[in-house]
Amino acid sequence: MSTVWRRAMPLVRPRYLLLAAVGAFLAAWPYLGADRFVLHVAGLTLVWAVVASYWNLTNGFAGITSLGNMGFFAIGAYTSAVLAKELGLTPWVTMPLGALVTTALVTVLVGLPVLRLRGIYIALLTLAFADALPSVITIFRTWTGGGIGLLGIPELLEDLEKWQAYYFALVFFVVAQVTLLLVVRGAPGLAFVALRDSEAFAQALGVDRFKEGLRVFAISAFFTGFAGALYAHLLGQISPAMLGIEQFLMVISMWMLGGAGTLLGPVLGAAIITFGNEYLRVAGSLRLGLLGLAIVVTVLFFPGGIMQLLGGARRALARSRGSGRASPRTPGAAEAAAAPAGRTSEEGR
Amino acid sequence: MDAFLNSLTSGLIVGSLYAIMAMGLTILYGVSHVFNFAHGHVAVVAAYLVWFVADRLGLSLPVGIVAALLVMIALAAGTYWGAIRGLLRRSEWAFGTLLFTLGLAILAEYALLELFGPRVKSVPAVLQGSVRLWFGRLTLNDLFLIAASVVLMLLVGAFLKRTLTGQAMRAVAQSLPGAQVVGIDIDRIYAATFVFAFVMTGLSGVLLGTKTYMTPHIGWEWMIKGFVIVAFGGLGSVPGAILAAFLLGVVEALVTLFLGAIWIWPAWLVTFIVALWIRPEGILGGRSG
Repeated sequence: MSTVWRRAMPLVRPRYLLLAAVGAFLAAWPYLGADRFVLHVAGLTLVWAVVASYWNLTNGFAGITSLGNMGFFAIGAYTSAVLAKELGLTPWVTMPLGALVTTALVTVLVGLPVLRLRGIYIALLTLAFADALPSVITIFRTWTGGGIGLLGIPELLEDLEKWQAYYFALVFFVVAQVTLLLVVRGAPGLAFVALRDSEAFAQALGVDRFKEGLRVFAISAFFTGFAGALYAHLLGQISPAMLGIEQFLMVISMWMLGGAGTLLGPVLGAAIITFGNEYLRVAGSLRLGLLGLAIVVTVLFFPGGIMQLLGGARRALARSRGSGRASPRTPGAAEAAAAPAGRTSEEGR
Repeated sequence: MDAFLNSLTSGLIVGSLYAIMAMGLTILYGVSHVFNFAHGHVAVVAAYLVWFVADRLGLSLPVGIVAALLVMIALAAGTYWGAIRGLLRRSEWAFGTLLFTLGLAILAEYALLELFGPRVKSVPAVLQGSVRLWFGRLTLNDLFLIAASVVLMLLVGAFLKRTLTGQAMRAVAQSLPGAQVVGIDIDRIYAATFVFAFVMTGLSGVLLGTKTYMTPHIGWEWMIKGFVIVAFGGLGSVPGAILAAFLLGVVEALVTLFLGAIWIWPAWLVTFIVALWIRPEGILGGRSG
């Protein structure tokens, strides 16, 4: 066996093989006979997967209970769409601009006041922020189209085909996920693990909750805003409905159903929810009930989401095989099995 | 000037309703630290029940209110013993209860949509007719709303100060370990708080339902308004919530008068951010009681 092969051997793990296979499938999907509708939904899934993943970054990893991420999405979408439509700029310029505007606005307007607060106040203020946006959109209706929405937004290419849209979304998804991995495994991620495990010790070592929180918030706003901009230029039309409560709950349940605090969970959740939503369109208001049921059941019975179930299934499989490498850590499962700290003492607000 | 006084009055009326609505939310938070995201929907469900019994079935309004309150009590007890109690024992209880109540809210909206349809409804007015004041007319129903709000506020105050359950609730709000040490059954008090909060919220929904039209969707709007009020007044503070409700009711009326209804939400948000920026603990921040 050559040395190159021996060095490469440890890299060949089932997990990487699976990842490579899924990656290859996603890259080749349009050539595997997927029709336009499937590609359309797949493209949407990829965009929502980014939104859900970055929502999960603030909430699942950093413990900042933000409920305003759909607001970030809308700011990115509207900024980019209005710039492209009114100034005639190409979407390739307005999308990064939209993302930067989102980052600046969100960091200053929301991040600075919110991150001095704790827990439920963060949730309330971010939610109020996102909820005030439809009125802002209506106030600037000469540019934004008001409640009807903005139609005829320049698309990424002229006569954008669904398979092209799909590839743009895929590239964005890959870039966003790699960045997310770097953030979670890098300094900000470690800082939040340290703050979670022992806040006093982490602060003694010089970890600044406010600074790290602001950084994570800015990154999250950037990618969520970018996703919004991409969404606008992929579909060619947007409306304040994206700020509605249903869309909000749908994206929240993506990362929650998938598994809060995991990297893969929000992506799985996005796929299930987006495809489920599109294929159940005929069911009408039943979708609302199903969504509520999914949220309630997830919170009550498997708070770690699908990732927790998968982890459980894998452990059961390993046990039944006798030895096997039982996976030592599944974040969701660990969370569920954590000592019952609960609300047993007065905690700071 | 008349227009100004008119909107000031309507601001005060709406404010008193908001105060009743926020009271359940703030007391529930003060005692159990559960933030009820289904708060607005509890109010809407109660209002719909009253509409159903009093309007659709044609029975009288008091029968409707009693029926709605019985359902509220069952709902509150079921929610606490069936779900919240278990969720509070987890380390992630804060976010768990938030999401659970959010899920409950959307289920309630779906149930209302399926049972009663999307058309607008309203609770029949308690009193007909109106009185003339020097700046305009005031309906008797509005006067009733003000009176009912004041009576409810006094009743809540008396309940918290005089009854054993009320005192135990305040004790838990002040210090959970302290309350446990003196032998207060926390589960029972939490359950009582849920029942109390759902009943108050339900009543506020019924009162609001006589003043505004409602759809299954309006719960979200009431929910957000309740949030801003309790956060503004200081989570867990009853006097703070009352003061904040009146302030925001008046601000809302004046904003509508001078700028137009479209500015209501931005105004609420700006008030909220400024309030939290200056006093994160709310205007009368502190404990329940």
